[in-house]
Amino acid sequence: MTQRKNKVSEDQLDVIEAHLAGTLKPVPLSNDVIQRLHERIHFPYREEIASRLRDWNRMFLVFGGVMSVLLLVMTIARAFFHLVGRRHLG
Amino acid sequence: MPEIEFNEEDVLIRASKGDRDAFGQLYGRYIDRIFNYVYYRTGNLHDAEDLTARVFQRAMNHIHNYTDRGVPFSAWLYRIAHNLVANWHRDRSRRQEIPLNDVPVLPSRGDHPERNLVRSQEQESLLRLIRRLPPERQNLLILKFVENMSNAEIGQIMGRSEGAVKSLYHRTLLALRDQIGDQNINLDGE
Repeated sequence: MTQRKNKVSEDQLDVIEAHLAGTLKPVPLSNDVIQRLHERIHFPYREEIASRLRDWNRMFLVFGGVMSVLLLVMTIARAFFHLVGRRHLG
Repeated sequence: MPEIEFNEEDVLIRASKGDRDAFGQLYGRYIDRIFNYVYYRTGNLHDAEDLTARVFQRAMNHIHNYTDRGVPFSAWLYRIAHNLVANWHRDRSRRQEIPLNDVPVLPSRGDHPERNLVRSQEQESLLRLIRRLPPERQNLLILKFVENMSNAEIGQIMGRSEGAVKSLYHRTLLALRDQIGDQNINLDGE
């Protein structure tokens, strides 16, 4: 009697296991999700920032770019004040 | 295609020294598993995506603290995921009830639509029951069925012996059987 009860119980557990295996399946990640996750997680390490600072070519270009823009702004400002100042004097 | 040999120990050392490519390899290796784990624990694709990103961000920020104490790296990642999921449930329970029926059920190919419908209902019922189990038991089922891990591997992740995992699994099945009986859920699909 007990043996039969145990057998029924084991059979029931086997059925549940089979259903669990059918229900809990891996969900494949879509390429969109992988791409979005990659974009979210992707940010530079401190070492990468440091290596950028050690890259002299890049630093030279950045420095040159900043100085050129600064010079352009100063020239425009000077021209503006020169023109406005002359009109006020005249 | 032959798989490139992956030496996790070496990759971990490089990643902990700030090698982003090495971390990228770890990311590629574990992203699916962590996503699946989080997905089945939350039952929501959008939140699973958000939490998975946070798991890897946290791992990347703290990987220099990771020390190999005989526990696999995956256990460390699952621990982070477990903590974030626990916080997520806590925050959600403060705001609203957790929807238990928003886990999409994957249909089997080649089956009749009617049979799929019955199977989906069974699976939805079973998922609801699973998600009412204590978190530790949910973890066990996810690792066993979704990740296809052995009791020994699950034990390493959960910090339990193989025997303890086996025992917990048996008790979980018994609990599920009782709940299925209490709620008159028919798993035969007939």
